[in-house]
Amino acid sequence: MSMKEQIKVALTGNPNSGKTTLFNAITGRIEQVGNWAGVTIEKKEGDIKKGLNKSNVQITAVDLPGAYSMSPFTSEESITSGFVRNENPDVIINIVDSTNLSRSLFFTTQLLELEIPVVVALNKCDLSKKKATNIDVDSLSKLLGCPVVETVSTKGNNNGLEDLISTVVEVTGKTQTAPFDSKGVNMADQKSVEASDKKRYEFVKEIVSKVEERKVISSKQTKQDAVDRVLAHKWLGIPIFALVMWVVFSISQAHLGPLLADTFVGWIDSFYAWVEGSLGDGVSPVLSSILLDGIIGGVGAVVGFLPLIMVLFFLLALLEDCGYMARVAVVMDRFFKKVGLSGKSIIPMIVGIGCSIPGVMSTRTIKNERQRRTTAMLTPFMPCGAKLPVIALFAGVFFNDAAWVGVTMYFVGIAIIILGALLVVRITGEKNARSFFIMELPEYRFPSIKRAAVSMLSRGKAFIIKAGTIILLCNAAVHIMQTFNWQFQAVAEGAENTSILASMASPFAIILVPLGFGAWQLAAAAITGFIAKENVVGTLAVVYGITNFIDTEELALVSGSADVAQIMGLTSVAALAYLMFNLFTPPCFAAIGAMNSEMENKKWLWGGIAFQFGMGYVVAFMTYQIGTMITTGALGSGFIPGLVAVALMIGYVVYLVRKGDEVAKRKVALSS
Amino acid sequence: MESIISNKGISRILDKTKGLGGPAMNLAQGRINTEYVIKEIKTNDEELKSFLFTLGCYEGELVTVISILAENYVISVKDARYSIDQDLAEAIIV
Amino acid sequence: MSDIIVILVILAIVSASITKIVIEKKKGTKCIGCPAGGTSKNTCGCNTHK
Repeated sequence: MSMKEQIKVALTGNPNSGKTTLFNAITGRIEQVGNWAGVTIEKKEGDIKKGLNKSNVQITAVDLPGAYSMSPFTSEESITSGFVRNENPDVIINIVDSTNLSRSLFFTTQLLELEIPVVVALNKCDLSKKKATNIDVDSLSKLLGCPVVETVSTKGNNNGLEDLISTVVEVTGKTQTAPFDSKGVNMADQKSVEASDKKRYEFVKEIVSKVEERKVISSKQTKQDAVDRVLAHKWLGIPIFALVMWVVFSISQAHLGPLLADTFVGWIDSFYAWVEGSLGDGVSPVLSSILLDGIIGGVGAVVGFLPLIMVLFFLLALLEDCGYMARVAVVMDRFFKKVGLSGKSIIPMIVGIGCSIPGVMSTRTIKNERQRRTTAMLTPFMPCGAKLPVIALFAGVFFNDAAWVGVTMYFVGIAIIILGALLVVRITGEKNARSFFIMELPEYRFPSIKRAAVSMLSRGKAFIIKAGTIILLCNAAVHIMQTFNWQFQAVAEGAENTSILASMASPFAIILVPLGFGAWQLAAAAITGFIAKENVVGTLAVVYGITNFIDTEELALVSGSADVAQIMGLTSVAALAYLMFNLFTPPCFAAIGAMNSEMENKKWLWGGIAFQFGMGYVVAFMTYQIGTMITTGALGSGFIPGLVAVALMIGYVVYLVRKGDEVAKRKVALSS
Repeated sequence: MESIISNKGISRILDKTKGLGGPAMNLAQGRINTEYVIKEIKTNDEELKSFLFTLGCYEGELVTVISILAENYVISVKDARYSIDQDLAEAIIV
Repeated sequence: MSDIIVILVILAIVSASITKIVIEKKKGTKCIGCPAGGTSKNTCGCNTHK
């Protein structure tokens, strides 16, 4: 054993072999995991937990994106092979999916040639045992010439993890001989590389045949395949997805969520009352109002939705963990392909349900430039976690906590994405970017409650941090701007329209009249939403002086919803339009920053932002005007100017499409 | 009892029965639940070809169409399930 | 007197949250309080798509 004080261990393996789960288990960190390939797109570092590490050497683990081989075909793979080649880790842990030895070991034999000690973690042993697949670990270890440890990273109780770490310490600094050597192969000559790789596969096959005994032959139909045929069915797939989302929303929004929110908001209320009581009468009303209504009230209104969000994320984590999301990707791919998006575009969209930023970042795995930029531009239309309080608030105040509101928002988002992609293809005149879609279908498994809980807690923590920092500051600023006028005098009661906030937001409010919500308060809330979407809720609470939206008396998510609706002065239709406007305008600035770095082109960035604004405006206009027409039989306010604005926007897009068509024609003419 | 067959055994049995000439067709025309031997990956996209190779999808290997969902084909290669689209299924000649 | 205490309390809260934001920004977090907003120690910003 070497005397090194600190060793660096790289975690490598095929996509969805459980690297990140293992990483979280050995380091105690909470990185996003999902039961499908391609969740990790960047490397992550963490120190190994003291409980697992019995030696006195400090071990740092590096989690790398999944790779099928050392040859960099995808960008995730080039991160992985680049890291392993350049950063000289002391030991490589190769996570091998024990249910698919024959594919995994191909990569293993390549790793063994790097002259870095390798430890194989034979993962998912529970799954392979269930299928009665027998793997002779000792002879596998002998044939590969490296230690092999059986692990189950999804379960607690350190299933083999302690062994794994002590083996890592043991092999540090030792040499291993590669069982398959490709040294003589000329890497520049593709033919000879191919021939050598075929030999490598033959070699792997031989090993597998020696060590593995299977009862279940994997090419035979299983119950899982029957389930797939239903869940990813041509026609049933989408209704099933809608139903699943409806169940998720109805549990989190109409049943379990409010139950928990009830208790939680009770605490916030008593805290508010306690602060109010201890301030006493001697404090100037302006100051106590900043503290009570601006800071505590505003943050409290947002934080009140925490239980609901945690329930929702818990359920989404269960869905992701059980393998369903990969099937959703298969169902959706058909539509995305038709509008010129890449087969990989679906992954950013699904990641974007949690947060647009990692969603946009994961577009970098798409090779075609147009497809990558289009996906980065459209991913924020998927309602992200920060938009959930906004959805919950409006569903609660105006629609009696109906679960269909949330579900509809997701499907409107998907529809906009498809429409947007179609327009981009026409505008750029680039139709024939073909891309193949291939996605591994992971096996269904019973989702782990523990992992879902961990994921939920980490999101809850993030939500509280956000509420205590950005949202708190915004609410305080909004409250101060609302309290004072430009002469820095406190605004008199009844003259709220003279405040700094009102005078700044009013010009924007005029533009919003045709959408049904031309009040400066609503405009201000939409504007603060660009800093963080949760701000919409906080700002509404501050400007309308509602300290919390959740009622602790009755088991409804939103207190006296009729009262709140009246204070806001919106009809249900206008409220729906306002909700859609907030969801489908540009995302928060942080997400726009992510779009900027993935698009690498200012023209695309500004085009994307303009498209997002236009889309939000048009969708809200249609919702309000058509909805008002249906419910009241008359047109909504500001119909004519709104129609002109919408017609101009659509006209400009049509002009761009025409121009794009010409480009496409010229390309065809050139090529023929 | 009869179901315990080692991997080696399977491939030997299959070698006897499958992959003996027959007219070339692509996987999209293939029947469900039939094991085919891949003859060629027909594409100009070298990267795709290499990528498929690393999955174990190359000439001489076995592939089975498990089901056809929407416009995607679920195939079994080595011990994993993949969903591929029609374009890709057409590129796999069996 | 109590006014001054309230002002101090407000300032303390606001400066605490500003400090937190500054610390997070220095760590290179792209989005504070976003799930997976790039909070890991060593996010590799390498441009790998080409």
